[in-house]
Amino acid sequence: MKILHGTWIPCPTEDFVQMGEFCLWVEDSQKKRPRKPSHRHPYQLDAAALLEFLGQTLGLNNAYGHLPGHIAPKSFVLPSSDKQPLPSPELMRYWELDWPDQTELQVWEVDCYSVRATVKLRAGESSSIIAPIALLSDLHFIARHQLADVQFGSDLLFWYRYSQSLKQVILKDRYIPALKYRELPQPRKKSKKPSQKSLTKAALQKAALQQQAAQQESPFELYPTWEIVSEQYESNLQRYVEYMPAICTAGHAASNSGNSSSAQRHSAKKSSAKQNSANSKTLHLWERQSLLRHFSEVAIEDIVTHAVRTRAFENAIAGTLLGLCFKPKQQRHPLREPRFLDLYRQWLEWRQKLARTQTKASFYLGFQLDDPGDADADWDLFFAVIDRQEPSYRVLLADYWCMEANERAMVRERFGADFEQQTLVQLGYAARMYPTLWTALDRTAPFGMTLTLEQAFEFLTEFAWVLEDAGFKAIVPGWWTPSGRRRAKLKLRPKDKQSSSKSETKSYFSADRLADYEYQLAIGDEAVNEEEWRQLLEAQTPLVLFRGEWVELDASKMRELLEFWQSQPPEAELSLLDVVKMEAQQDGDIELDTSRDRALADLMASLRDPSKLQIQPNPERLQGTLREYQQRGLSWLSYLESLGLNGCLADDMGLGKTIQVIARLVQERDERAGQPETDSQQETNNQQETDEQDTIDPVLPTLLIVPTSVVGNWKRELEKFAPHLRVAIHHGSDRNQDKTAFRRLYDEYDVIITSFTLARKDSKLLSAVEWHRLVLDEAQNIKNPKTAQTKAILKLNARHRLALTGTPVENRLLDLWSIFNFLNPGFLGKQAQFRKTFEIPIQRNNDVRQSSTLKKLVEPFILRRMKTDRNIIKDLPDKVEQKIYCNLTKEQAALYQSVVKQITGELEQAEGMSRRGLILSSLTKLKQICNHPRQFLQDGSDFTTQRSHKLDRLSEMVSEVISEGESLLIFTQFTELGEAIEQFLKHNLSMNTYYLHGGTPRKKRETMIAEFQEPVTEPSAFVLSLKAGGVGITLTKANHVFHFDRWWNPAVEDQATDRAFRIGQTKNVFVHKFVSIGTLEERIDEMIEDKKKLAGVVVGTDESWLTELDNASFQKLIALNSSAVI
Amino acid sequence: MASISRTWWGQEFIEAMQEFADPGRLQRGRSYSSDHRILKFDIKHGQVSATVRGNINPYFGVHKEPKYRVSIELTPIPSEDWPKIVQHLSSKAGSVAKLLLNEVPDGIEDSFTGLDYSLLPTGFDDFQSQCSCPDWSRPCKHIAGVCYHLSKRIDRDPFLLFELRGLDREDFRAELLKFPLGKALASELGAQYDVQPQPETSLFSRPILQTVAEQAGADTNAIAGSLDPKEFWQGATRIPKVQDSDAPAVIPGILIKKQGDYPVFWEKDKSFIKVMEELYCRVRQQTKGLF
Repeated sequence: MKILHGTWIPCPTEDFVQMGEFCLWVEDSQKKRPRKPSHRHPYQLDAAALLEFLGQTLGLNNAYGHLPGHIAPKSFVLPSSDKQPLPSPELMRYWELDWPDQTELQVWEVDCYSVRATVKLRAGESSSIIAPIALLSDLHFIARHQLADVQFGSDLLFWYRYSQSLKQVILKDRYIPALKYRELPQPRKKSKKPSQKSLTKAALQKAALQQQAAQQESPFELYPTWEIVSEQYESNLQRYVEYMPAICTAGHAASNSGNSSSAQRHSAKKSSAKQNSANSKTLHLWERQSLLRHFSEVAIEDIVTHAVRTRAFENAIAGTLLGLCFKPKQQRHPLREPRFLDLYRQWLEWRQKLARTQTKASFYLGFQLDDPGDADADWDLFFAVIDRQEPSYRVLLADYWCMEANERAMVRERFGADFEQQTLVQLGYAARMYPTLWTALDRTAPFGMTLTLEQAFEFLTEFAWVLEDAGFKAIVPGWWTPSGRRRAKLKLRPKDKQSSSKSETKSYFSADRLADYEYQLAIGDEAVNEEEWRQLLEAQTPLVLFRGEWVELDASKMRELLEFWQSQPPEAELSLLDVVKMEAQQDGDIELDTSRDRALADLMASLRDPSKLQIQPNPERLQGTLREYQQRGLSWLSYLESLGLNGCLADDMGLGKTIQVIARLVQERDERAGQPETDSQQETNNQQETDEQDTIDPVLPTLLIVPTSVVGNWKRELEKFAPHLRVAIHHGSDRNQDKTAFRRLYDEYDVIITSFTLARKDSKLLSAVEWHRLVLDEAQNIKNPKTAQTKAILKLNARHRLALTGTPVENRLLDLWSIFNFLNPGFLGKQAQFRKTFEIPIQRNNDVRQSSTLKKLVEPFILRRMKTDRNIIKDLPDKVEQKIYCNLTKEQAALYQSVVKQITGELEQAEGMSRRGLILSSLTKLKQICNHPRQFLQDGSDFTTQRSHKLDRLSEMVSEVISEGESLLIFTQFTELGEAIEQFLKHNLSMNTYYLHGGTPRKKRETMIAEFQEPVTEPSAFVLSLKAGGVGITLTKANHVFHFDRWWNPAVEDQATDRAFRIGQTKNVFVHKFVSIGTLEERIDEMIEDKKKLAGVVVGTDESWLTELDNASFQKLIALNSSAVI
Repeated sequence: MASISRTWWGQEFIEAMQEFADPGRLQRGRSYSSDHRILKFDIKHGQVSATVRGNINPYFGVHKEPKYRVSIELTPIPSEDWPKIVQHLSSKAGSVAKLLLNEVPDGIEDSFTGLDYSLLPTGFDDFQSQCSCPDWSRPCKHIAGVCYHLSKRIDRDPFLLFELRGLDREDFRAELLKFPLGKALASELGAQYDVQPQPETSLFSRPILQTVAEQAGADTNAIAGSLDPKEFWQGATRIPKVQDSDAPAVIPGILIKKQGDYPVFWEKDKSFIKVMEELYCRVRQQTKGLF
C-alpha cells in the first residue's frame, strides 16, 4: 500500500517574487519502524524509490518531463510520538494502530517530487512550469479508478478538491493583467562589502555604481503579472480555509538548519507536554488563507502565461501592458523606467473602476423579450428590476415610471434610495455589452425598446447569454427555452399505411430489425412536406412564424437535412439497440418518433421503466414464493429475452438475484411444458413467441459461470427452489473433460455450473455447444478484456446472455463497459473509444452531460433495485435471513478428512470425561478447518482467500456492502479468527474496521462503539466475538450481519444479530449465515432448521449435549460429503 | 501613421483645429505632441498652457534651443447658460450613462445647439491660441502639437471638454445634482480614484508563517498536550464533494467588458476587448494539459 501525500511549499525567500513548489511524497506500508533515531521520515519512499514509483507505477514519465531533477528533501512538521512521526491516518488504519495519548509536533525530512510539467509555448520553444492542478486530477483519477493499492492522503485530497474549484477562474475568465508596484529601499550610503574575492575592485565599483544609479533614477519597480478578480474565488477561499487540514500548512523547504530541528527534538525529552507547549511556540506552520492565496496566484499566473502563442497574437499585444504580462516567467522582467509609472497609474484607475462594477445591487436588472403574434410586427424588449432575494418580485420599468410618488417610494425602499441611479448605471453597463440598448436610453425614463425580427434573433441567440453571464437576467419567450423549443429536424416515424393495418397483426419486434419506419421532415413535433420545407428555406429570416408559433430556422442545417432525407431509401432499418441509442442522444438532428407506434412506444417505455411491465405470476414449479419486486425482476428478464435483448440484473446484495434467475429457468420450462397448440393463449403469451418456438424442442441448458466461492451456493439454491431441474457442477479434477462425456452432460442437464477459471481452461468444450443462456454471476470479473478468461467467455455461443452483479456498476465505468461488451458487443463502442467519450470526461472531468447520455444508453439494460427504494422496503421484511453455502477447498477437505479419520479411531477407545473432551475438541477442530486452514494449523501461514471459499465469499460480500455505503457486523466464535478477519479486511480491502473480543478493555470498547455509530464515520466493518459482542451493545449503524461460523443455538445467533436489529435501526437488516457444504456445519444448520427435532433435544447455549450422542450418530454428524469439495 | 486620436470626439476636436491649416505644419506638429517635446502642460480654468521645446533655426535667428509658451482656449459658454444645457443633458438616460462610462454620447450636441453653442470646437476660429514662436501662421506647429496632445487627454477624459468650455468640474457636479439622472453622473464624477502607487511587499500574496500555537488559536496554553493528530491530518471538517460545472464561459471576458473598450493604458488601434477575448480563449483552450 502506498499513500500519496503532498502540499504547497512556498520558497524560503524574502524576495519580492516568492515562488513555491507543489511537493509530492509517498508513504509506504512496507517500511518498518527503524531502530536508529534519524531526522528522516521512516515510512517515506526515499528519492530513488520515489523516482521509480512515480515513473513506473504512476507512469508520470511522459507527461511530466524529467523527474530526477525535481526530487529533493523537504521538511514537515508532523504529529509524532515516541521519537517517531505518526503514520498518516490512512497508514495508521492499515497498520491497525491506535492514536497514542501523547503526541507532539516535530520536524521530519521527507524526499519530495516538486511537480513540474513541460509545455510547448510555440514551435520549438517550451517552458517548464509548476502544474499542480493537472497533476492532482491525474493522480486522483489513477488512485481512485486504476490502482487499488495506491491511496490518496487526506492532505492531497484537500488540494485536489480546492484546485478543482480554482479551475473556475480560468474557465470563466476571472483574471486581468496587472502591474504590481514595488518601492525600492533607499540606497544605503555605505554599501555592504561584497564577499566575492574573485571580482576585481574596479568591476565591483562599477557594479555598485550602476546599481546605485538605477535606484536613484527610479525608486520603484513594476512587475507585470495577472490578478484574480472574482467573488466566487473569494468565497471559495473562505470556505476552503475551514476545510484545510493543518498538514497542508506543515511543509517547509528543507532547512539547512536540520541540526537545529533535530537538536530541538533531542533537547526536550523530559516532558512531552512541556515540549509540546514549547514546540507550539517554536515550530511554524503556514497561515491557511495566505498559503491558499499564494498557491492560487502562482498557479493561475503560471497557467495564463503558458498558453500557446502565435506570432500574430504576440504582434497584436507587443509593446502593451498585455504583451508585458503575457510573457512567460523567465522573459518577464520588472520595469524601472519612469514612463511606466504612467502606465501603472492608468492601469490602476482602470482596475479601481473595474472593482466598482463588481459591487452588488440588491436587484437584478432584467430584459424581457415579448414576441408579436404577427409576423411583420416589431418585438418588445422591456426592462425590469427583479429582487435578488425574492425573484418573483418583479417590476417593469415601464410601470415604475408611471407610478404614483408613494408607490415609487415603496420600490425605492426595497431596492435602496439610489435605486434609479443604480438602474441607470446598470443599464449603461448592459448597453456596453449590448449596444442596441443605447437607443432605448435616449430619454429620461428608459423602459424598453422595440426590436426588429433580426434584432430579436440576435438578442435570443447571443445577447441574452451575454447579459446572463454578466449578471443580468434575460427573460425569453417559452418557445425559445430548451424544453419549449421547436427545431427543424428529421423524424423517424412508422410508415403511414402500415400503422393502421399491419401493426395489429404484427406485434413482435426483434433486436435486429425494426422495419416499416421512414424519415420525415419535421418542425418541432409537426410533420412538414417537402414543399413547405423549401418555402421555409426561402424565408431568409432566422425566425419564422410557423403555424401560429415562432420557430428558429437554420437554413444551412435545413439544407443538409433535406439532402440527407432525399438520399434515404424509403424505409429505414433500425434495431432496438439503434432505437435506444437515438433516444439517448438528446439533441440529435434525427429524432425517433414512436408516438404513432403504440407497440414500440410501449416497448421503450417498459424498457425505461420496468414498473410498467405486467407482473408475471410465481412460476408454478418454483418451490418458493417470489417477493413482488422479484416477480417484477422475473418479468423484466423474460421481457428482455423475448425481445432478443441481453441485460444485467444489478440488484443490491441481499435482494435475491439468484432466486430471480432460478425463477426464470423454471418459468421457461413451465411455459414449454404447458404450451397450448395455438390461439387461446396467444394474446397473453405473445411476448414469448420467438422464432425458436416453431419447433417445440426442449429448452437447451443454461450455463452458469460463477466465482468458485459460490459454485456450491448456486447448486444448493437450485436444489432448494427448483428441485426438478437437473443441475450439474462442471468443476474439479474429476470433471468431464472428454468431448463426448461433456456432450452427454450437456444433453442430460438443464443447468451446468462452472467457474470463471474453468470457463477459460475448458473453453473448447464449452464453446463447442450452443447454450440457451449464459449467466455470469459477479460479472465484474470480466473487467479486463485482454485476459484469456474474458476472451474465452466472449466466445461462448448462447441465445441469451445475462449478467449479474451487486456492485454499483454505474460508478465503475470500466466494469460497466466490460459487462456491456459481454451483453451487447459494440453497443458502447470499443474500449478506447469508450474511455475517450465517457470514462475520462465523466470520471476525470466530471462531465455531467456525458454522464447523463451514458445513463440513458445503459438504463434499459440494467435492472438495479436498491434496498433503500421505497417500493423494495415495502416488500421486504425488516429482517432478511439468507444462508451462504460454500464448498471446502481441497486443502480444507484433506485436513477435514484426516481429523475425522483420527477421531474415528480415538473415539473407539475413549470413555467418560476423555470421550467428552475428545468430542468437544474435535468439533472445534472441524469448525476451524471450515473457517480457514490457518486457523486450524495455527502456523501463521497465509490467511488468503484461495485457501477458503468462505473467506473468499465473505470478502466479496463485505466489499459490496461497503461500496454501497453501508456498515456491517461479522460474528465468529473464535477470537483468533476475528483478529485475522479484521486484519484481512483492513489490509486487503483498506476498510475502516473495529474488533471487539473478550479481552477488549471497557473504555476502548465504548470508544469503538461510539465511533462506529457516529454518522460521520465512513462505512465500516465491525468484527465481534460471539461471546463478547453478542449482548448488551447497540450497533444499529450496521444493516448487514454476517455469521462466519455457526452456533448450535439459534437464540444465541439471533441475540447477536439483534445488535444491529433493534430500536434505532432504520434500514432493513440482512443476515448472512455461512454454511460449509457437506460438513458438520451443514448438519448443524439442518438440525437448527428442523424445528421438530430441535424441540426434542435440549439445546443449551453450549455444545455439551453433543457428547451425549453415540459414536455412530456423532460420526454421521461430522462425516464429510466429499462431493461437496471444490 | 496611426491616427492621433481613437475616439470620435477626439477626432472632431483635431479636425476643427486642422480646418485651414497647412498640412506640412500639421505633420511637423505631430512630432511636437510627445512628452519629449512638451515640457510643461497644464489646464487651469479652462485654459491650457504649455511649454514646448523648439528647434534651433538659424534662418529665423534662433541659435539656442528655444522654449516656446503656448496657450489655448476654446470660446467659453457663459455660466448663465450652463444650467439649461445640463438640464437637457440630464434628460437623456443614454447620454448620462455614456458619460458615466467615460464616453461622449453621440447626441451630445443636441443639448448645445438649441442655445446656439456647441461642445466640440466647430472650426479653428473656436480656438483662442497663442504661441511665443516666431512663426506668424496659426496654428503653428507648436500649437498643433499641444492640440494633438490635448486630444489624447480628451479621449480619456471627455469631461475636459466641458472644462475647456468654461464649466469646471465642481460647478458641473452642482448642476447635475439638480436632476435625478444627473445625480448618478455626479457621484461618478465625484468618485476619486487614488492613482497614487500602491506599494506591494510581494508579487504574490505573501504566505505568512505562524507558530503552531497561533494557528491553533489565541489560547496558547490550551494547545499543550491537546494536539489531535487525526484532526491535524484530516482537518476539523470534512471536505464535501462539490462539483463545479466545467462549462467554460459562454461569452469571453465579461469581466473586462464592463469597463468598455480602449482603456487608457491601451495604445493600440486594435480593440482591447477583441484582443482580450482572444487571450481568454487561448488560455482556456491552449492550456488544457495544465488544469
